[in-house]
Parts: sequence; C-alpha cells; structure tokens
Amino acid sequence: MITFTIDGREVRAPENAMLVDAAKHGDVEIPVFCYEPKLGNPVGACRMCLVEIEGIPKLQTGCSTPAKDGMVVHTQSERARVAQQAVVEFLLINHPLDCPVCDKGGECPLQDITFGWGAGTSRFIEPKRHFVKPLALSERIAIDRERCILCYRCVRFSQEISEDNQLVLVERGAHSYVATFDGHPYEATFTGNIIELCPVGALTSRPYRFRARPWDIEDAGSVCTLCPSQCNVTLTVRDERVIRVLARDNGEVDDGWLCDRGRFAYPALGGLPATAAALADAPAAAENGAGRITEPMIRDGGQLRVVSWERAMTEAVAGLRRAGERVGAIAGGQATNEEGLLLARLMREGAGSPHVDSRAAGTLELELHLALNEPRLQARVSDLEFAHAVLVLEGDPIRDAPILDLRLRKGVRRHGMKLIRATREELLAGPRELADKLAGAGEEIVVLWAERLTAGPDGSRAAAALLELADALSLGDVEGAGLLEIPAHTNGRGLREAGVLPNAGPGLSDPAATGDASPTGRDAAGIAEELAAGELTGLYLLQSDPLLEPADREVWERALERAATVVAHASFLTEGIREHADVVFPSEAYAEKEGTITHPDGRLQRLRPAVAHPGSIRAEWSVIVELASRLGLDLEVLTGAMASAQLFESVPFYAGLTLEEIGGKGVRWQEREAAGAYPTREQLV
Amino acid sequence: MPGAAPETSPEASAVKVSLWDPGEDVVQVQRAPAPGALRSAWRAFRETARGLRTTFGRIAEGPVTMEYPEEKVPVYPRFRGRHKLHRFEDTGLEKCVGCSLCAAACPADCIRVVAAENTPENRVSPGERYAAVYEINLSRCIFCGYCEVACPFDAITMGHEYELSSYDRSDLIFTKEMLLAEPLERAPLRNEGE
Ligand code: SF4
Ligand code: SF4
Ligand code: SF4
Ligand code: FES
Repeated sequence: MITFTIDGREVRAPENAMLVDAAKHGDVEIPVFCYEPKLGNPVGACRMCLVEIEGIPKLQTGCSTPAKDGMVVHTQSERARVAQQAVVEFLLINHPLDCPVCDKGGECPLQDITFGWGAGTSRFIEPKRHFVKPLALSERIAIDRERCILCYRCVRFSQEISEDNQLVLVERGAHSYVATFDGHPYEATFTGNIIELCPVGALTSRPYRFRARPWDIEDAGSVCTLCPSQCNVTLTVRDERVIRVLARDNGEVDDGWLCDRGRFAYPALGGLPATAAALADAPAAAENGAGRITEPMIRDGGQLRVVSWERAMTEAVAGLRRAGERVGAIAGGQATNEEGLLLARLMREGAGSPHVDSRAAGTLELELHLALNEPRLQARVSDLEFAHAVLVLEGDPIRDAPILDLRLRKGVRRHGMKLIRATREELLAGPRELADKLAGAGEEIVVLWAERLTAGPDGSRAAAALLELADALSLGDVEGAGLLEIPAHTNGRGLREAGVLPNAGPGLSDPAATGDASPTGRDAAGIAEELAAGELTGLYLLQSDPLLEPADREVWERALERAATVVAHASFLTEGIREHADVVFPSEAYAEKEGTITHPDGRLQRLRPAVAHPGSIRAEWSVIVELASRLGLDLEVLTGAMASAQLFESVPFYAGLTLEEIGGKGVRWQEREAAGAYPTREQLV
Repeated sequence: MPGAAPETSPEASAVKVSLWDPGEDVVQVQRAPAPGALRSAWRAFRETARGLRTTFGRIAEGPVTMEYPEEKVPVYPRFRGRHKLHRFEDTGLEKCVGCSLCAAACPADCIRVVAAENTPENRVSPGERYAAVYEINLSRCIFCGYCEVACPFDAITMGHEYELSSYDRSDLIFTKEMLLAEPLERAPLRNEGE
C-alpha cells in the first residue's frame, strides 16, 4: 500500500495501481474511454484521463501512470479541466450526436463523460466527417463509423483477447475507421463482446437494434446454461421477453466475456433463450420461437395433440403405472440439480427402478467417479490462467466450453503458461511417460480433460490412467494444480452429484446403502438396449432427446420404436420427441428456471427466473413432484426453494448451503467446510 | 332461537369504553349566544337583500353561462390539452424517431414507445428509426407537458383539445395514428389577454 494525494485527499491505494484505479480508493473518478483492464496493458489512446501531477511539467494519462508514494495529483485544477474539456470537444468534432436514434443512448460513456467533464458547448461549425451508415460488420453486429472515437478497444479485443486478428483500424488520422482486415464480415466465436466494450454507439447489436432503451428495460442476473462454461449473464427483459444477453463479470467463471452462442442464441427463439438441444436440431426450425412447445401434448392416433395438463398428467401416470419398475430415465444436461434429484427420487422411490442416467459418456465405476471428483484434486477456472502448464486432454475447449479457450489464451499471453495437448492414446500408452514430459514445465499443472476421454469400453482404463497421471504429477498436493473436467453437458457435474447416475445416489453415495433400489441400474446405453429388447417398457426423458446424441442412434431408434410409454419434458419438437414421445410436458428455458447448477469446477450457481413462463408451461420440478404424488410418493417439495433445500440436505458435501450463500457469484463446495463429508474411496470398500 | 340471544360480553363493552379517552385534549366548543326571533328575522332579510343586490346589479350584463357542449370555451394558445404528433409538411414523414425520451421524461409513466428500423421500402421517419408503437395513456396523463420539452425533434406537442371523456377507459389509450390525425373538431382559441 502507498499513500498519495488526489484532489487534496490523502488516499491509500495498492502499489502499482494505475491512477484511475487508485483514485477510486478515494472516491475520485477519472474519466476514461480506452482504459479497460480486461484488455491487458493500457494503451493511452484517448487522452480522456489526463491529470496534473505536481513535479511533472506535462499532464499525464491517469490510465497508464502508476500511483507512487507521496504523489500529489489534481483532477480538477484549471489545467486538468481545460484538458478534459478539450478532449471531449475534440472527440465530438466528428461525432454525429445522433443520440436519439442511437442504441447506446442512455447507457453511453460518451454521453456521461460529455455531461460530466465536457464544456457543454461546441465551437465547431465545419462539416463533419461522413461514412456510409448503418453498416453490418457481421450478421450480428452493426457498425456506425461516424460515432467511433477510435479508442482501439474492439481492435485490441480481436487482437489480444480472442486472438482472431480480424479487426484492424485502417487509414490514418481522422479518416481512420474500424474494419475487418479483408473486408469480410467479422465472424468468430466471441465477436459479441466488442459491442459491450465499445464506449460509444459505434458497435451495436443487430438483434437488439432499436428494441428498447435503458429506461424501458429490467435486468435480471442468471447463468447461461448452453454449455458447461456456465457464464454469468444479465438478461435484459422488456415486456416479459428476453431481448438481450449481457456478460455479468465473474472472475472465477467467465472473466467478463461471453461467447456468441450465449449472447445471440435468444432471438432465433422468439426472444427466449434457447436450449442447447433446440440449437443442435436445425435452429432454423426454431426460428422466432415457432417451434417452442408451450402446451402439454399427448400422442393421439400417431400425432401429437395439445391437451390440458390434467389430461397429460393422467396419461403420463397411467403410462408410468403400466411400465412399473420397467422404466428408465435420462436427464438432459441442462436440467438443474434439483430437477435431477427429484427425477432420481421419482424413479428410485416412486417407480422402484434404478435406471437413471445423465452422463453422456456411459457409466464409470463409482470408485473412479469418487477419485476423479476428489476435492483436493479439483482445479479452479482461474488456475488455468496462472498455472505453469495446462494439459488439454482430448478436449477442444473452443467447442466444448468456449470461454475456457479465452482463459487459456490469457494464460499463455500474459502469464507465460505452457499449453500442451495430448490425446487419449498418448494417455493410455503411458501416463507416467506423459507426466515426465510435463514435469519440466513447472509444478502447478492443470489437466483439462473432456468427459469423452472416459467414454466407451476403454473409459475406465482412461480414467484410471488419468488418476495415475494426476498422482505422478502430485496434482492433489500442489496449490493451483489439479484436474478440471469439461463435462459433455452443461450441468454434467451437478447431475452426477445430485445422484442422477445408475450407480450412485445423491452425493455420489452408494445406492446399495440406501436400500430402496437394487444398485445395478443401467446407463443410457443400457436403457436403450433393454428398451429395444423389450426388457424395459417405459422411458422418461427430462429435457433430453437421445436421437440428438450421435452415439447409439440405431439402438435408440429401435428402443424408442419399441417403448410402450415415452414421457418427455421438452421445449422443442426435435426428432425423437416428435416421432416417439407419448406425453410431452412443455419445459422451461433457462431464463424461466429456478434452481441451482454446478459448474465443472464445483461452483454451485443459481438460476433465477427472469421472465414468466410462456403459454401454460409449469416449472419442471413441480411437474415431477405432481407426477410423484399421483404415483403415491410425496416428495415434500412445494416451492423451488424447498427443492433446493432438499438438495443441500441430500448431498452431504453441499450440507448447510443456502440460496443466499450461493448468491450472484456462486460458491465452490470444495472451499466449504462440508467438503469434509466427501465420501472417500476407503469408505466405499 | 329466541332464548339464546347472546348477552353483550363484559369484555366487549370494556373495550368500547377504552377506545379513546379524550383526557386533557378535550376541545371546548364555543357557541355564540342564540339570537332572539326578531333579530334573526332581520338578519335573514338583510343577507338576502345583500345577495340580490349583486344579482340585480349585474342583470344588465346579460347571461355569462356557456351552453357547453354546443358552445365551447376557447383556450389560450399555451393551454396544454391532448398531445399531437407531427409530420414534416414537405415530405409527410413522421417527425418522431421513436427515441423514447418522452417516455423517460413522463412523470406519470404513461407513454409507451416501441421503435423499429426504417427500410428503403418502408420509410416512416427521416432517420434510421421510427416509432412502430406510440401510445399515450391519457387516463394517466397529468398534462404537465414534459414530453413536449423532452422531444429533441418537436415531434410531440401539447394540443388544445380538452374533450377527453369516454365511456371506456381503454379508449383513452391513444395510438400513434390517433395522435397524428387532426382532431375532428378543433377547440376554439382565444388570444392572449382576451
Ligand atoms: S468502434 Fe467503438 S470500440 Fe472500436 S475503436 Fe471505435 S469507439 Fe472504440
Ligand atoms: S403531458 Fe406529462 S404526464 Fe402527459 S404524457 Fe406528457 S409527460 Fe406524460
Ligand atoms: S415524440 Fe419525440 S421524444 Fe418521443 S419518441 Fe418521438 S422523437 Fe422521441
Ligand atoms: S483512458 Fe487513458 S488514454 Fe484513454
């Protein structure tokens, strides 16, 4: 900590903090345009942050001058004020001042700073520079070059954060403008972030174009459930519709960025955030939300027909009764922990069937699950950035969990992290040899592995090899090292921990211990085989369509064909649902959901409803509870919060959690005391 | 059952009594002494005559009552009646660009604007955007005129129409078309100082 003086106040600030940041410790605001710590080192492009420092003859940029002990800084002296007004006037020389038609109006730093630090008048009467506008920079982004203040933020993002290197500033001086280097549309995985970065209305979202002004909307915090990265988002809501998705900075999850899928998937669905399944199955079909199921349906004469809830419930109950114990259930990856828990209870306690699964990669022995999930072995997302080396095993982060890709790039670029890739074959060939190769990189090593590493007949061997690798690198004993899994589905980890596995109950407990059901449930592939063979007759699909999974398609087709009863919760009539479901309950999109999900690194995060249910959709948990009660099982859940409380009670290492504790940023269960309740391998044997 | 009429319970009456005890606060009402019969008859006559003096004194001026609604009260030019949206006289395009600034300024929160983008085929206003939906809920409007002040394009002004009664509340939600249209009958205007 150092002490310096700013505007006559003594302020204590951390050493080496830039003046703009240090000033905040004394409640002094220095206006900035180009300074954005998320983008890396300051560039000093806009000169908005000029301050007067005693002893230095010229004004200095506060964004790139570190505060030093004993410094005396003025931000409101005559010289500083004149400079600030001059910079604002200068920036506005070519600015079209079309705030009333600009989408940034009302949430625009240029407006705010002009109001706060500008002169209030202009002396400029000459004609302004003109560009063709509006122009599309890409399918999703509109660019208005007249409004650009040349702060370089978007270009820096493209060059230094997402490293797609597409955006450049062309021409010189006042004629400079932002463009892609080859004139093609800006297409990459993270383009939408430049909309949020742009401090003026030069880059705006096309789907959000003219949809609302800041005072027309409400913001609702939630978590994107379209991929396992589970980025924190703010949903912009107008008239009960989600019309925009913004990043909600959480350094431990997303670092303040969003991928384009999370940001732009909503309009294709009529203003409702998508479900991953719908996006996978011909997004065009879901155009404008046309395909969204909002009413319960039953199959009648080979066709799905809309019916009342009462009728659908009766039908589902009758079907489940007929199937009795011979029913299997599959939870899709976007289901919440609560839904998973209740579904597993419905199956195990209500129907007496142990066949529940949520894992795309097939079963793994409980012992291996326990070992892989061991708290001391788990790396955090931020460890990816600061580790000496990261080993990416079998995964492709930009596809599986895009936001982790940005984290890896940041690690490599800013902290000299070493990135190494290896395939499953290399791992199987010899985990010790692999460990030897890594050993030179340092001791903080994070192994980022994809769930599919452990798929197939060799799955257990791969998992064992992974554990051996972890052991050889002693990942469990080094702070900042560990394993980080990318599950195949968003809430893969949470569903597993909630007990949606054929061989484990809540908290990865041994289901044999709880008695009710026989411990040998079948996994998804097994359920398909048994259905096809006629051993099982009923199937319960919770936001999952097995025909969308490339694996075992053939078996699944036969299985669905043969199944007597298929009850499905679904948002869209994807193939499997359209052709085979007998009862369809309309299911919620994530913006409507209430509950918790678990991030791959063990962080429990909370989904909060931002908009009301469209049509006659009901909360998933309440449908499961209602079904259970009609089957004679009281799940003792009346509200979403009660479902969460039941989850925290059932999973020993979530014990004592509350929704308040999870809050907006989530909590990692490994960092809580209750983590001690994690079952050890020894307990199992 | 006649015999079973409940007695007033002692608690109930106790509660009644203790409801409010004026205590020290009791206000004494001062009454004037009651006048005698002769005196009060004189007083009644005198006051009536005083009133009639005004009546007869003005009789020469003729009636001032207006036969509303056949006849309408003229309003001053700056009277704030129901709003009008305007078009450019030359191009016929709407002046409103759908910026919602009026909605932001409105203290009664009775304006709703949903904007959309102009296309070459469908050009509604000169700029990039126009108001696809523009509604004012006149049953909530307090006729403060802040919307007029807020508008950067003079697209909305307060008109002179004040006949806004209706049999149905929902008729008082004025749409863009209604606000753009000339009123069927114009309110008469009076000059300043008239
Ligand atoms: S487009 Fe926006 S972010 Fe990019 S340089 Fe211009 S003002 Fe800055
Ligand atoms: S006159 Fe006042 S209350 Fe009425 S619409 Fe305008 S701003 Fe709102
Ligand atoms: S009337 Fe004026 S202030 Fe209101 S939306 Fe239209 S242009 Fe904007
Ligand atoms: S914020 Fe310091 S130069 Fe732009």
